Amino acid sequence: MKAQTKRQWITTHEWMVKPMRQKEWISGKGILVWLAEVFSALGMGTYLVGLLAGLGGVTTGAWWATVLGWALIVLFKLPLHFLYLGRKRNFWRAIPPFTQAWKTSWFARGMFFSIVFTGAGFLQIVLWYLLHWVDLSASAADIVTVLAWIVCIIAGVFIILTGVYCGFAMSYCKSLPFWNTGLLPIVFVIMGVADGLALTMGVSLMTGKDVPIETLEFWSRILLVVNALLIAGYLIRAYRRHFAAELAAQDLIKGSTAWVFWILLVILGIVTPLVISLVTMFMAEANAELLLIVAIVCHTIGAFALKYSVLKVGIYRSVLPGVA
Amino acid sequence: MRWAMVINLAKCMRCHACVAACRVEHFLPMHVTWAKLIAYEVDEGGMVDVSTYPVRCNQCAEAPCVHVCPSEASHQRDDGIVVVDSNKCIGCRYCVIACPYQNRTFLSKDKNPGYFPGYEKTAFEKKGQKLYPHQVGTTEKCNFCAERIDDGMSRGLQPGVDRDATPACVNTCQARALTFGDLDDPDSNVSALIRKHNGFQLRAEYGTDPSVYYVDYRLGGAPSNVAPVEAQTGSHIQHLSSVDRDAYERIYGKKADAEVKS
Repeated sequence: MKAQTKRQWITTHEWMVKPMRQKEWISGKGILVWLAEVFSALGMGTYLVGLLAGLGGVTTGAWWATVLGWALIVLFKLPLHFLYLGRKRNFWRAIPPFTQAWKTSWFARGMFFSIVFTGAGFLQIVLWYLLHWVDLSASAADIVTVLAWIVCIIAGVFIILTGVYCGFAMSYCKSLPFWNTGLLPIVFVIMGVADGLALTMGVSLMTGKDVPIETLEFWSRILLVVNALLIAGYLIRAYRRHFAAELAAQDLIKGSTAWVFWILLVILGIVTPLVISLVTMFMAEANAELLLIVAIVCHTIGAFALKYSVLKVGIYRSVLPGVA
Repeated sequence: MRWAMVINLAKCMRCHACVAACRVEHFLPMHVTWAKLIAYEVDEGGMVDVSTYPVRCNQCAEAPCVHVCPSEASHQRDDGIVVVDSNKCIGCRYCVIACPYQNRTFLSKDKNPGYFPGYEKTAFEKKGQKLYPHQVGTTEKCNFCAERIDDGMSRGLQPGVDRDATPACVNTCQARALTFGDLDDPDSNVSALIRKHNGFQLRAEYGTDPSVYYVDYRLGGAPSNVAPVEAQTGSHIQHLSSVDRDAYERIYGKKADAEVKS
């Protein structure tokens, strides 16, 4: 009797039938999307942390953190997204009020969030500059303070939305089960804020440490642990969710993307900063600063690795049921 | 009114005429196909089975591509056909990723090198470009030959019945595996086929409500679709017999050699 070994050949349109990776947003020109997503997370985190740090009273470090966060969004994220578009001269069609697509499209919503943030963030930077560096009369200072609070609230809300929409845009895709989960935006936001804490520490180191680094480290520790647990939960869920999601998780854990996941994301992006933040609690300040810089670099590498891993292992479901 | 297509998998003989007709009808760029034929073989210890699945844009009632499009370039007409306005498309490729059926193509420069790469465009190509200006940097897909439908209906013709108002692939199919008609009309040819053969949609669990239905005795798993083996596999004889003699024997109960010799 012949051995009943089951083999399968796909003769045409392999990508529609076999579980294949998406390439549009990670390969070739798609690298621009990856980079834009990274700067989106870094910008969101840094701006948000800077904003929160300066709410009690504007400091040089907090101001520079908001400037850095704003610049990462406006000078990096948005131009990179723009460069990726196949039809750049049509980009205005995706911006409300020229489109009503914001009712359903996270991309159109994201454009709107980013534009409002660009304006509100710029105003906040100007107002904080006036409050911190310019000698205002008492009445003028009162007006600027009130204005700054209003603008800070708007900018704060819209920077969160700008950071979170990328996750929602990806999690909307039913075609890619690994992305198609509500956990994705949460992971992106928490990791973004953790990276923002690290970059704000760096800014604070360079601007006279007027933002309390111990507080930033404390929150960084908590967020790193939370994010490690979330990522673990995300992978477990992927295993239970769908065959294609399971394949994606396997690819991350032991496939071709494993080195990015384990070395760059887990070891450098999460474990190393966490260990450093624990060790520096018991170290002299001079030595701690050096380690802090290492932690900041590791955090940033982790930010690049997280988005790369998730985009890289986006695996499509098979179009035909019962095949592959 | 909602235009729909029924594809009879038992009748499809993988001749690719629908793919060619679509290419000619829309002057498709060199490396772009809107209608596709997925063909695959399964070899179970020497027993080879060949299957063919014609696929194209499903013109979903709840189309994810329309929902995600940021510029409203992808939109749904009143008759249910999902079309892409390339003048509005920004080329973000979100729809390509969001389509669970992977039926959208981003037209990059390398996919449109001209029919004779390295040479000047022919008069035919120039004319085609005027009729269907495929724009590099935008997304494309099957549109159920919406222009034929519109033109035919304006002349009082009925899509699915009159050739001039019916999609090119349906007109061309020699095996009559494709049927086109109004899904909202319970008496239409497509509604009757779906009712009679328990027609099913591809991946209905996504909730996209496709307008392309399939009729098959295996894929849908509907008991009433059970057809004679010959009806399902008859069109694949040449492939099966050339690939594996055991498969031929399995279908016809006799040795391939004897059949070939006779």
